[in-house]
Amino acid sequence: MTGRSEADRLKQESTLMRMVRRPEAGAFIVMIVVIVAITLASDFKAFNALGLKNNMAIIAQFGIIATGAALLMIAGEFDLSIGSMIGFAGMSMAMMLKWGLPFGLGEATPLSAFLITLAMTLTFGWIIGTIVVRSGLSSFIVTLAFLFFLRGLTEVCFRLINQSTQISGLPDFKETSWFADLFGGEVFGWFYDLWFLLGGNAVTRGSRAGEQLVTGFDARLLWWIIIAGLAYFILSRTQIGNWIFATGDNKEAARANGVPVNQVKIGLFMTTAFCATIFAACQVFDTNTADAAKGNLKELEAIAIAVVGGTLMTGGFGSVIGVVFGAVTFGLVANAVFYIPWIDGSFYRVFVGVVLLAAVFANERIRKRITGGI
Amino acid sequence: MAQPYLRVEKLVKRFGPFTALSGVDLDVWPGEVHALLGDNGAGKSTLIKTLSGVHQPTEGQIYIEGKPVTFRTPRDAAAAGIGTVYQDLALNPLMSVTRNFFMGRELKGMFGMLKMDEMDKVAHDEMLKIGIDISDPGQAVGTMSGGQRQTLAIARAIHFGAKVLILDEPTSALGQKQQMEVLRTIKTVRERGDIAIIFITHNEIHSKLIADRFTFLSLGEVIGAGTKEELAGDDIRRLMAGGAEIEDLAQMLA
Ligand SMILES: Nc1ncnc2c1ncn2[C@@H]1O[C@H](COP(=O)(O)OP(=O)(O)OP(=O)(O)O)[C@@H](O)[C@H]1O
Ligand SMILES: [Mg+2]
Repeated sequence: MTGRSEADRLKQESTLMRMVRRPEAGAFIVMIVVIVAITLASDFKAFNALGLKNNMAIIAQFGIIATGAALLMIAGEFDLSIGSMIGFAGMSMAMMLKWGLPFGLGEATPLSAFLITLAMTLTFGWIIGTIVVRSGLSSFIVTLAFLFFLRGLTEVCFRLINQSTQISGLPDFKETSWFADLFGGEVFGWFYDLWFLLGGNAVTRGSRAGEQLVTGFDARLLWWIIIAGLAYFILSRTQIGNWIFATGDNKEAARANGVPVNQVKIGLFMTTAFCATIFAACQVFDTNTADAAKGNLKELEAIAIAVVGGTLMTGGFGSVIGVVFGAVTFGLVANAVFYIPWIDGSFYRVFVGVVLLAAVFANERIRKRITGGI
Repeated sequence: MAQPYLRVEKLVKRFGPFTALSGVDLDVWPGEVHALLGDNGAGKSTLIKTLSGVHQPTEGQIYIEGKPVTFRTPRDAAAAGIGTVYQDLALNPLMSVTRNFFMGRELKGMFGMLKMDEMDKVAHDEMLKIGIDISDPGQAVGTMSGGQRQTLAIARAIHFGAKVLILDEPTSALGQKQQMEVLRTIKTVRERGDIAIIFITHNEIHSKLIADRFTFLSLGEVIGAGTKEELAGDDIRRLMAGGAEIEDLAQMLA
């Protein structure tokens, strides 16, 4: 015997090498490049008081739905119904707030409208999940059916009850209801107060010149932090997280070891429905409007962000932190047109296409490395 | 050691009109390696699937420590101490050693939080006990060698209470050196003395190297059984070929 064993062949890596090989590394580098480029090209306008608020608003929107989509993808399934679910949830809440609760149950409050809507969307999530695990059909096709079904249902409900496919001019509930304020109000006011105290964040022109300009971030930023934080905790630190990975990696192996594979999947379809509902609630209570077209194509953006964040299309591998980086990247680029006047807004989609393709190649390399090249 | 840990009496398994096992007897003793041999289609996999609760016997009885038992599901069999390591090993290549080791049976504290440090330590120690020192329990299983994976699956079965360890062709997909690694692992497990091992193989040399007792199946029947001492070397080869003489086999090639 030479005294060498298999274990000796695994080289101890430095901390730096470990970081570089993490699945989030690519997403992190892309994010840094985008932040620097947009900061310079916008002459720092993208990150002044108002720019930061607006950017964080869209980043949080992306982040909320991409987190749910990523967890589901790690478990090996897709959800193409996210966008239509957003439209449905927004319609449902706005409709109840305008026309009252169904079955003549009287006036709706933001709380009751939200809870009833959530009950419906979670039920849809449960139905989708149950169909997928029971039938063994690809979730791609099942959720594609729900993409059409829910969008159509949303439009039909709008026309039948409301005559028009939009609702606007609802009362400003966030002024009167603490619950509506949770979704449509502002958070982290202290940040902007501090910024003002330090001499920035002030109105520069007009009669209000010198007063504080921005008073807080949109509430969706807090929702994103909560959802991403919870998802990170569950995925990397809990038993359910281990089940999610196991389900997406090799379903049969997971099942043989007693992992409740079907329940995991159904639960995650309900999670994406939950994320879509939070997304819609923030939109409705922020703008006091709803529209049958809301959420259109958001499912594809959510999946793209998850992939750019290092989530494998084939399941079993991914990272919530990577999704955070992906959401920041996508949000900044989607908003870039507002800060960089000479840029064409459609460059956003060009960018998404290029980055997505690059990410898929990068992820495939990671997968090959881990599985030993198969 | 007055009685075998696991005893099978007159086990019959039919799939519709097809009789896969017709009256098989088997005794498995703790601290022994029991080689189950036989040609393709002899019924070896069917027998161990019945023992691990995947199939229900058509007739016959299984006893654990002398008491008759019925396994309706693999879970029942696992609870009775039957740990089966299937050929595909039921491992997840993208996940770490520790996460695979505890898959479905995680150690958790508050809020379902994984006790990762404790799990890492247990996984490492249990694998060390049967002869493999994994330097990083966070290593993905996909990057491990076939022999190491086999060891992981065996260590896992033992840790979660297997009294009978069933290994279905654990060496068949491996290279020479790794085959020896797995045989050494089996030997280490045998030396503990409290675990019975059923070892399925097509390899005569492997079975002679480590088995204490042999059972030969052919066309669903036991055509020979006995301890190492009872069977002469030539017998084993003849019985492995389903009773044919090696000269006859040579004839077939001529
Ligand atoms: N579910 C089933 N339904 C019908 N026939 C079956 C079933 N499972 C096994 N058989 C038949 O039972 C016989 C024994 O099969 P088994 O898999 O037990 O053989 P084996 O000894 O494990 O062979 P090998 O060495 O090739 O693995 C074969 O003829 C097989 O076709
Ligand atoms: Mg077999």
